[in-house]
Amino acid sequence: MRTSFVFSWALLVAQTYANVTSIDEELIIPNETDTAGTVFETCPIVTTSSETDSTSESLEAGSLFNDTTELDGAVNEEGEGDRVVLFENVEPIKYPFQEKLTLKPLPRNFMAASFQFQMSSNNLTVGEAESDFDAYRHYTVFPKALSPILEYTQTRQLHIRFTHGRWDAESWGQLPHRGSKSGGNGVELWAVIEASNKNEAFDNWISLANSLSGLFCSSINFIDIEKTTYPVLSFQPAKKESMPIFNSSNHLFLIRAALANEPICTENLTPFLKLLPTRGRAGISSLLDGHKVFDSNWHSLSIDVETRCEGIHCKYYMEEYIEMVFNVPSSLARADKPIPKPLQEDALMCDESKPHDSYECFPLPQRKETKFELSKLFGKKIIGSSLISEYPSKVCAVVSDAWNVLISVGDVFYSTDDNCFTVKDKELHDLHFESENTADIAEPDKAPIFVSRSLTGYGQDSGGLRVVFRNPGNETVTAVYFESLPWYMRLYLSSLKLESEVGLEIEDVIKSTFYLPAIDRERPTHLEFSLSIPANTSLALSYQFDKALLKYAEYPPDANHGFEIESAVVTVIEPTQYEMRTSTLLLSLSTPDFSMPYNVIILTSTIMGLAFGTLYNLMVKRLVTIEEADKKSSSRRGLKSRLLSFFSRIKRNGGKVDVEKKQQ
Amino acid sequence: MNLRELQVVAACLASRFGASTVFPLLQQQLDKSVEFSTPVTSYRSLQEGVFLIRNDFPLYSGGVVHHAPLLVALMSAFSSKNMVSLLYACADTMIAFQLIAMAKCFSRSPLPSWVPGALYVINPLVLLSTVSKSSVVFSNLAISTALLSALQGNSIIAAMAIAVAGYLSLYPLLLVVPMLALLQKDKLKTVFITAATLTALLLSSYKINDENWNYLFSTYGVIITFSKIIPNLGLWWYFFVELFEMFIPFFKAVFNLFVVSCIIPFSLRFHKQPFYAFILCLSWITLTKSYPTLGDGGFLLSFVPFFRPLYGYFRYSVISTLLFIHVTVLSPIFYHLWVDLGSGNSNFFYAISLVYALGLATVLVDLVWAMLRIEYDKGTPNLKLKMTPL
Repeated sequence: MRTSFVFSWALLVAQTYANVTSIDEELIIPNETDTAGTVFETCPIVTTSSETDSTSESLEAGSLFNDTTELDGAVNEEGEGDRVVLFENVEPIKYPFQEKLTLKPLPRNFMAASFQFQMSSNNLTVGEAESDFDAYRHYTVFPKALSPILEYTQTRQLHIRFTHGRWDAESWGQLPHRGSKSGGNGVELWAVIEASNKNEAFDNWISLANSLSGLFCSSINFIDIEKTTYPVLSFQPAKKESMPIFNSSNHLFLIRAALANEPICTENLTPFLKLLPTRGRAGISSLLDGHKVFDSNWHSLSIDVETRCEGIHCKYYMEEYIEMVFNVPSSLARADKPIPKPLQEDALMCDESKPHDSYECFPLPQRKETKFELSKLFGKKIIGSSLISEYPSKVCAVVSDAWNVLISVGDVFYSTDDNCFTVKDKELHDLHFESENTADIAEPDKAPIFVSRSLTGYGQDSGGLRVVFRNPGNETVTAVYFESLPWYMRLYLSSLKLESEVGLEIEDVIKSTFYLPAIDRERPTHLEFSLSIPANTSLALSYQFDKALLKYAEYPPDANHGFEIESAVVTVIEPTQYEMRTSTLLLSLSTPDFSMPYNVIILTSTIMGLAFGTLYNLMVKRLVTIEEADKKSSSRRGLKSRLLSFFSRIKRNGGKVDVEKKQQ
Repeated sequence: MNLRELQVVAACLASRFGASTVFPLLQQQLDKSVEFSTPVTSYRSLQEGVFLIRNDFPLYSGGVVHHAPLLVALMSAFSSKNMVSLLYACADTMIAFQLIAMAKCFSRSPLPSWVPGALYVINPLVLLSTVSKSSVVFSNLAISTALLSALQGNSIIAAMAIAVAGYLSLYPLLLVVPMLALLQKDKLKTVFITAATLTALLLSSYKINDENWNYLFSTYGVIITFSKIIPNLGLWWYFFVELFEMFIPFFKAVFNLFVVSCIIPFSLRFHKQPFYAFILCLSWITLTKSYPTLGDGGFLLSFVPFFRPLYGYFRYSVISTLLFIHVTVLSPIFYHLWVDLGSGNSNFFYAISLVYALGLATVLVDLVWAMLRIEYDKGTPNLKLKMTPL
């Protein structure tokens, strides 16, 4: 058996070469002990497979095999002599993994990019725990990190959302994938957990949150009983009857929590890429770079895992979506000039029809024609296709006829009718966009409803919430409004008011209400309304709340910053399936003086002591006139004089003893 | 009942009902002020309870309702706003009337019987408290009914009334001790009736609350454990905000003991003046309770006219008057500075709550001192004599 293939893998080297000759083991198993490196890593990776034992092939190696170096399960079972024959005939093994990048220009020179990855696991053994030492587990493209967590916590469905930024629904239309893949600002997590009772489900939920917190380097571990809700109308799994229960005496629990405005950063993207079999080094994921993703105006990272069963065979299906919206001109400008500098005088585009001088002028509107490459937006080119997957990587552009989209493979340019391109082999790919009129874009789907929520009131002891719903369409919208508020907002549901121009009543709009009041430090307020909003109307719901005072130690270090309130979720059921979130809110509570504990304890105790002591004194003692009191005090020797006389007597006695001793 | 008394009662009803109907926004303003409303007495939480009952939501599963179940059930029977205003006005008028009736019980008093009632009517603290529709009015009514019946020797009604007061806001239950001193006979029977009434009330609450005992914590547990920390005029709130976590259970026990501490000593020391002992106990509770309002303070101050003969002995009357004025003027201002404007901090309002406690304490000490003096003088005031406790 010959050995040693070396991949020299650097961005600047256009040609990657691989000398592959033989493989011992049946399959290429993603090796978790190998450090996959960060997204930014571009240095060469050397992988060696030894002659006798090469179980640790890195996945990167697998994805770069030539079409001629074929692998099959049969390889290992056959004798060594047959190998040459099989190599020539058998197709390369393919794994259930699929990836696609969709690029869609939006109005005002924005561009939406959607990275979609789908994968599924091998068959699961029902009823066998991961911890059983003899259980044989085999991971192909499904991340090994995730599967034990799901089994240990008996999670049947898992949904994670990391979202940040504002989606401008008025001009950009519907959220990508009808909003089903993006959360509210911050981190959102919900799961369907199998358990025998609610307490067990909650325990599983907490350990799930803690495990994911470690996996994604985020503060998901801050999810606790104060933030957890059990949604009743929202977040329902699409096909409930098909959800498997491994133990028939158990039940399924839908549990959800969100961390409002939790910062999302590069360290959250890296684990996302690590879950992919390509690790961000091949295929479309090679474009993903933390600087570019988190520079965008809006981005959303999502993971959905589902358990699907056919008979006794169950599999995990996972969808990992990374969505972002960025402003093309500013991204290009940043690529050209990483450090912004003022423009040169001749580069300024002044509107000379308006008043101007050599220092100030009105700028011209942005140019309508544009021409740019994808590599300029993302800083890199697409490094080949994901070769282990069943389908080659795809890149699609959703554009109107005013746009011309080309793909360049090496130095050759191609175009297609539907602007969808297949990324092949190990070549560097780049996409070229050209347009005469950037305003002419593929018509975005109109959002079926606009919802905005705001805080009212000015004091720090009470306030109100006001939610404005606007239905721009010609059909009545049926939707569910979900809200989870922290316990220190003491909500008065009786103050619910509806304002509308057309004189609607509350009963016309709110068809049913689910309300679970908050318990201090134990449960958030959980509110769900079934709404029916008539066509072409806007209406506002408002309700009042009181703010509680927290204990001294319960305030965060920056207490005066305020408390983040998670976004409300609106799930549209009719006329289309659509999901959206309102923005998060910042609630300011009144704060005590944090430097006062000792003073307060002392002052309050003083007043209490003063009142009690004086009363006790009056009730226990006898009233006498001052003359009598004086007389008594003069007739009766005080403590001091008595002590003095006592001491002098001792002294005298001691002196006597001394004298006696001397005499002896 | 003579014409003057009738006028007082009519004025009371007219002023309460008139203020509520002419200034409907005043109610909401006052209900939001910390001086007149607390989580356990506020009208908006009562309204929330009525709303929850009408919509079949759980009433005491967390949330903001801390009123007794029967009170919520009673309020849910009233649908019109004016009816509710009338109910509060009537309850307050009853108190005024009972004050007049109490004054008649003291035949030797130099005071015309209508004066305590009239002072009650013009007492702004009580007026504003009623307009804010604080449920303090109902427990005050129960207390004054108990006191009047005990003075008249009607032990059954007194016992039942004090049980109702205890049922509505817990701490007035302690007043059963001075009330026993007030009643000449049937002491055991009174205790028994009080216990029986309270049990009946609690059991019927249990029935009305879908056979669930969870209302006990939401109503009485909240009062004892002070679990809803909202600023008020009492001594508790800032103490428990600032206290270190591990000491909190201990100090909650201490504060509760503090409420109980003076009840029996007052009743024993002044058992010869039982009415007076009753008022002392009431003011002690007002000083030390976890969720006090100015409504409690106003109610307490309306008993001061009964002690007309003691006025000469008061040592700090100027100071306590100034302290009360200080509190009523500065407390809304300081609270506004802290919570709305942010130009002051919590210590401003805390200082006011200390001053209020000090004001009540000086009144209490003055009353005790004056009674001890008049005891010494055996009923004939000799103001020239200088005395000291020894």
